Amino acid sequence: MTAPLSLNRNGHSLTTNVSSRNYRILFERLPVRRIILITLALVISYGVIVGTVATLQTGRYTTADWVNLFVAGVARGSVYAIIALGYTLVYGILFIINFAHGEVFMAGTFTTFFIASGLSSTGVLNQYPIPSLILLFLCSALVSMLVAVILERVAYRPLRGAPRLVPLITAIGASLFLQYTFRGFYGAQVNAYPNIDILQGTISLGGYNVQKSQILVTLGALLLWLALFFVIERTKLGRAMRAVGEDREIAALMGINVDRTIISTFAIGGALAGAAGILFVQLFNSVWFFMGFIPGIKAFTAAVLGGIGSITGAALGGLVLGILEAVGPILFLTGLGIPSPNQLQPIISFGILVLVLIFRPGGFLGAPEEKRA
Amino acid sequence: MKKPIGARLLAVFGALALVIAACGGDSGGTPEECEADEFGCVTVAAGDPIKLGSLLVTTGANSSLGLDSQYGVELALDYWGDEAFDGTGGQIKGHDVSLVAEDDGCSAEGGTAGANSLAADSEIVAVIGTSCSSAALGVADTIFSEAGISIVSPSNTGPALTAEATHQPFYLRTAHNDKIQGAAVANFAYNELGLTTAATIHDGSPYADGLQQVFADTFESLGGTITKQEAIQVGDTDFNSVLTDIAADSPEFLYFPIFVAEGGLITQQARTIDGLADTVLAGSDGMFTPDWIQAAGAENADGVYISGPDLAAFTGDTDFYNNDFLPAYNDAYGEPQSVFHAHAWDATNMVLTAIESVSIEDGDTLYIPRTALKDALFATSDFPGITGSLTCDELGDCQPSATIAVVTVENGEFSEAVYSEVGSLEG
Amino acid sequence: MSRLPRWARVGLLGGFIVIYLGAVGMLESFSARPIVTGVIQFSVVLIAVVYMSSGYLAARPGKDELESNPRRSAPLAGVVAGALVGVFVIAMTLLAEAGYNPRDMFIAINPALLDILTFGQSIWAGLVIEVVLGGVLGLAASYLYTSSPNTRSIVVTTLTTVVMVALAAPLFTVMFDGLGIPDSWLFQREGLTVIGAIVVATATAFLKWYLLKTGGARKAMLQVPKVTEKNINLTLWLAAGVVLTVLPWIVNTFISDVLGTVGLYILLGLGLNIVVGYAGLLDLGYVAFFAVGAYSIAVLTANTSFLVGGTVNAPAAEGFMNFWVALPITIVIAVIIGVLIGAPVLRLRGDYLAIVTLGFGEIIRTLVLSDWLKPYLGGPQGITQIPPPPLGPLNTRDPRILYYLILAFVVISFFIATRLKYSRVGRAWAAMREDEDVAEGMGISVVLYKILAFVMGAAVGCLGGAFFATKLSVANPGSFTLLVSINVLAVVVLGGMGSIPGVIVGSLVLVGLPELLREFGEFRLHIYGIILVAIMLLKPEGLIPDARRARELHHEDEEPITDVAHVAIAGGHE
Repeated sequence: MTAPLSLNRNGHSLTTNVSSRNYRILFERLPVRRIILITLALVISYGVIVGTVATLQTGRYTTADWVNLFVAGVARGSVYAIIALGYTLVYGILFIINFAHGEVFMAGTFTTFFIASGLSSTGVLNQYPIPSLILLFLCSALVSMLVAVILERVAYRPLRGAPRLVPLITAIGASLFLQYTFRGFYGAQVNAYPNIDILQGTISLGGYNVQKSQILVTLGALLLWLALFFVIERTKLGRAMRAVGEDREIAALMGINVDRTIISTFAIGGALAGAAGILFVQLFNSVWFFMGFIPGIKAFTAAVLGGIGSITGAALGGLVLGILEAVGPILFLTGLGIPSPNQLQPIISFGILVLVLIFRPGGFLGAPEEKRA
Repeated sequence: MKKPIGARLLAVFGALALVIAACGGDSGGTPEECEADEFGCVTVAAGDPIKLGSLLVTTGANSSLGLDSQYGVELALDYWGDEAFDGTGGQIKGHDVSLVAEDDGCSAEGGTAGANSLAADSEIVAVIGTSCSSAALGVADTIFSEAGISIVSPSNTGPALTAEATHQPFYLRTAHNDKIQGAAVANFAYNELGLTTAATIHDGSPYADGLQQVFADTFESLGGTITKQEAIQVGDTDFNSVLTDIAADSPEFLYFPIFVAEGGLITQQARTIDGLADTVLAGSDGMFTPDWIQAAGAENADGVYISGPDLAAFTGDTDFYNNDFLPAYNDAYGEPQSVFHAHAWDATNMVLTAIESVSIEDGDTLYIPRTALKDALFATSDFPGITGSLTCDELGDCQPSATIAVVTVENGEFSEAVYSEVGSLEG
Repeated sequence: MSRLPRWARVGLLGGFIVIYLGAVGMLESFSARPIVTGVIQFSVVLIAVVYMSSGYLAARPGKDELESNPRRSAPLAGVVAGALVGVFVIAMTLLAEAGYNPRDMFIAINPALLDILTFGQSIWAGLVIEVVLGGVLGLAASYLYTSSPNTRSIVVTTLTTVVMVALAAPLFTVMFDGLGIPDSWLFQREGLTVIGAIVVATATAFLKWYLLKTGGARKAMLQVPKVTEKNINLTLWLAAGVVLTVLPWIVNTFISDVLGTVGLYILLGLGLNIVVGYAGLLDLGYVAFFAVGAYSIAVLTANTSFLVGGTVNAPAAEGFMNFWVALPITIVIAVIIGVLIGAPVLRLRGDYLAIVTLGFGEIIRTLVLSDWLKPYLGGPQGITQIPPPPLGPLNTRDPRILYYLILAFVVISFFIATRLKYSRVGRAWAAMREDEDVAEGMGISVVLYKILAFVMGAAVGCLGGAFFATKLSVANPGSFTLLVSINVLAVVVLGGMGSIPGVIVGSLVLVGLPELLREFGEFRLHIYGIILVAIMLLKPEGLIPDARRARELHHEDEEPITDVAHVAIAGGHE
């Protein structure tokens, strides 16, 4: 008589009677994780619902307030979305997180500050705002693109095929390196990016006053997104990028130049980040060497929220994050009687990230998570 | 790491014996003041300089504050004795004065490391520092007080440093206590502008948090209402939410004593919030620089009130300040980045004067009793400085009263003081 | 670019590196640090290293070449590098004279920098000097290239040692003063004297020569009769023990304080090493546990804690409990938080985990800073008046006593970390790190072991935080930024992930040195960035690699990155 077929699904023999082993099985099978998750979900939903209801009941905020916050959130989210495209493109093709992407964004924007202040002090900026703006877009995109390409060539290309931790640490190093390089170049102070007069002030939209700069930023971001969408879906380069992301070796066998495709991906992501920087300074006119870090992390969060690798996901994630950040602290926390809710905004941003990753690791539009070594 | 306990003990005792022997060697033939002094004397041998320390923030994001003070100290040493800005300092009883500069990093870690570094040098007589209150409170003030080294800060304004329960015995400051400034802004808003509702924003720095709290407490005690005390994070750029939140109560006065970057953005974004259209905006010394006007945009900064120590109303020798000090400063270091060079100058002169009065000559050797030096500093009274006449109280505040000015911005430039108040700690 | 001959490319790269070092302000800052006082500054050494490296690289045959002509290509590369720098100086000067001051944009391109690059001469003379310097150093590099490996090793070691000793001059001065040894013949104003440099160089060269001849110190010693392997080990451990024990009494309290800080980072590094090195989980929010430890101790023991009704301005007479009672409680808190954070997210893939932990770090920092928890944690002002750990009659406020305390905990953690590594758990971690699916298949409960690693890391990090708070006697939010996480990560990565001695070396180099070398303070993070990238590109297993880890990182190396590797060799990395 051989062993009875009393094995459970996990392959553990139920008849084993060594006591320590039993404890171990018990502990392994105890759904600790599930209990924590469900409790977490319940507590957070309860907090959000109670907070929201309580906030709305106070009547402190008018509809105009909510509209303002919402529009500001959309504008800010649009910038996140464009930066997020850079993360998503690179991730989609190489499966690495380009942690230094925020610094790519900073590099272009910070560099064009000097052009913009030159234009501003000579009066050209306000005399010919549209050509100036186009010039700034091009310069910023160019500088950021250069930085992204150099980054790929020096820091990431030699690491293809290395364990995943290696390029990630490299990226963190590259991020510090770029920050402090530009600090060394341009100084540590915060600089005020010159404003363009015609973009100041508000216009009335459906009975609500909306800032012109916010509209410009949202529209600009939409255009950039559409352009990228076209490139990916309709051009040869776009097909090559998708092919390399699908399977690098087979793509190479099909005659696609993998190196060139990867570097183009970095170039496009970098150019978008540089352009996003010019949009960013229309909303918040300050530039300094550390300006890329927080938007970079937020944009990465947006990319993950939407489903990293997906272009539509990046846009969606950016908008959701931007809006939640603008509306969230007041809506969820004020009602709970928490003082200074806006100070707690990082908790909301990262809280959303954690929740999405726990409950839907692929993000809103991402494919269900597959394991990669 | 296995090591026999015996060997370890032996080593410790051996080292101890060396140290004790070394210490014992020094004490022969010192004046009796030194024997009597709890912390003994600093002995300056013939031909050696008297060593002062400085513990100011000279690197990193806040370096402009610390370097400005550092320059004030250097100029004071230069001017001392020979009364000329000639690059060479004077002497005290035949000894040069030298400066050992350390960095306080504007943090508790930096304050600890720097203070330990200076305290480890037994020749350091006194220290000018720190720049940031967070480097002093419970850190540098304690380390120096335990070593018997007097420390005079030119720019710490945190109230806790000279609060009765937390004041450390060797700590003094020539900077004004934030209690004075916060109260002055509250008086200005309530009495001068006649406003009764106010809100505040701080950025999570101990400085801004302390200042807005003093403001809020005073404003409420005057009879006003604080509608909201909000906070932001350093490095944030979008303040629409926090401003909308504040605007919901339509306060008449919004006080945000923060720094250039966030201060500029808040000024700018506040102008776009409808609910704040009639709100008076105000900040403090952290934004008292043309950089802030530039960051906010001149048209947005116009009409904002900024408070700070009133240099024009320095009751001391203002002619000297404008005619001699500032030109020398400009020659050597360019435009001043803050006003605390004046406080650093006064602190240095106070220390040098006290050293001169308590030091004991014995041949060519100079003895400076540490406790006596501290007592002399605390006994400073009506000392003529460029920030006014300094009188130190028993908790180390050498500016128990200070003139706080409020200026406004007109056409992108700071105006003359629109309000000036002599605040005092008693009031 | 690719059409240019190799020497031209390498030379241009060298020139650009020198210009880069100037443009970020390093040359100007480092010119204040003498190597041989009155003769040569650190900035000049840096320039020379770059020129020599260019020459050395140019001397090597390129990918498609079978052999090279070092005597020709190396000096040429140096000349190109020097010429580029000289032309740069001229261009900048002319630009400034034409009214376009480059300084308006690049703040470090100022007269002081140009002065350094022209050695105080006119710009044209400067060009000549740079070209000659480049050529001569390139030629020297070519001789270095063609010399025997032993000679090369002696020369590089000697030069590196002289520079290192000179940079550490303030430390040596303090130690010699402490021991009562006169040192003015050796050191002068933070640098070596000429005689000192010659002495150090000769001694190092001789020692290296001797060691090479006899095949290493250990082998040399074993030739002495009655000396066995075991004796040597024992002596080494004993010596290390004695040095560590008497160290605080030789150096002053400041350096003891620095050693305490280094000890703290060793503690943190050992903790993070369990998470990153053993289990292969990248945690970018390690500061969260550091903060939890510091704040737990603060709340439990400080006189200003809300538990005893104190505030910053009105401390109570005494804290809530004794440090030694609070410490275990603190660790339990850390373990609970570790499980709470770890359990939900540890199923995530590695790079997601990095971002989530980074987020947790920020959340904790935001919480301790917040107005919301201000009544309990003090908000921006933090918690002050944390008493030192009571330890009989000893004054644990004294950095020297605190050093022993930290040392004791470092030794304990060292012991635990070592035992863990070679235990069943350690092997399970290694299996999991190499291939999660296979490990799972072998019956290792991946999630359980991940949580275990995370929690152990949390406990050690928390211990570090507790000592940090008592060391400073203050806990405020300013101390718990992302930078701490990055610092600790850099410590682990530099030494070698998974390597315990590596953590110690990493802390000494990355935490100890910057405290002593003030000029480097400004560039600390800049240099961290360079180190992280360079280590990952050149030697991902770290300076003192863990054998198992090194195998993992190298088994799929395809293209060797030879070019950059040789820059490092010529640059003096041993």
